[in-house]
Amino acid sequence: MQPGISWMSRTTMADELRPGDVVETPRTDPPHHTRVPRYARGATGTVVDFEGEHPLPDNRARGIATAPESVYTVRFAGDQLFDGTDHDIVLSMWRSYLTKKADDE
Amino acid sequence: MGRINDVGGMQGFPSIAREDDEPAFHADWEAHVFAINRALLARGLYNLDEFRDAIERMSPQDYLAASYYERWLHGVTTLLVEKGVLAAGDLVDVAHDHG
Repeated sequence: MQPGISWMSRTTMADELRPGDVVETPRTDPPHHTRVPRYARGATGTVVDFEGEHPLPDNRARGIATAPESVYTVRFAGDQLFDGTDHDIVLSMWRSYLTKKADDE
Repeated sequence: MGRINDVGGMQGFPSIAREDDEPAFHADWEAHVFAINRALLARGLYNLDEFRDAIERMSPQDYLAASYYERWLHGVTTLLVEKGVLAAGDLVDVAHDHG
């Protein structure tokens, strides 16, 4: 986590995520560069940290001007991604990759 | 549409060879590729995501057969042609001259 970036400063934006939020990753591969690995597609994880703001690589790789957006540290239970894995797998995920699951799900 | 670079979690690849006291470069040309890429990124000819994308667009056969810095060279030359700095024929000529 970058020093000086606090969760408090992020929570004013409605679409921002907080630690503990349950999120889903995209189910499909886009037809361009992306930073979501195949093994983490269609997975459910939990936000654990905020890593700062960076332009979405999917856009930048295609020469599309893009404003920085939030990047989060997301933890996945290993057996969500690989059978027989008992440790957690932690990935950096841009906000655009994540869909927040409703609290009652 | 997954690309050939996205092999995380895939079975069948050999284990990663770890060299003791591994040098940063195994040949001078690798250092040259590294330096050229850094210079072109710094000049803004392309950005890091375009560079990664250029490598990921390699054909699966070429990607798997290439070493790390061979992939970098492919990415650099692909972008030099696509950005209009080099003509595709220039690359063939250079390869021929040094062949």
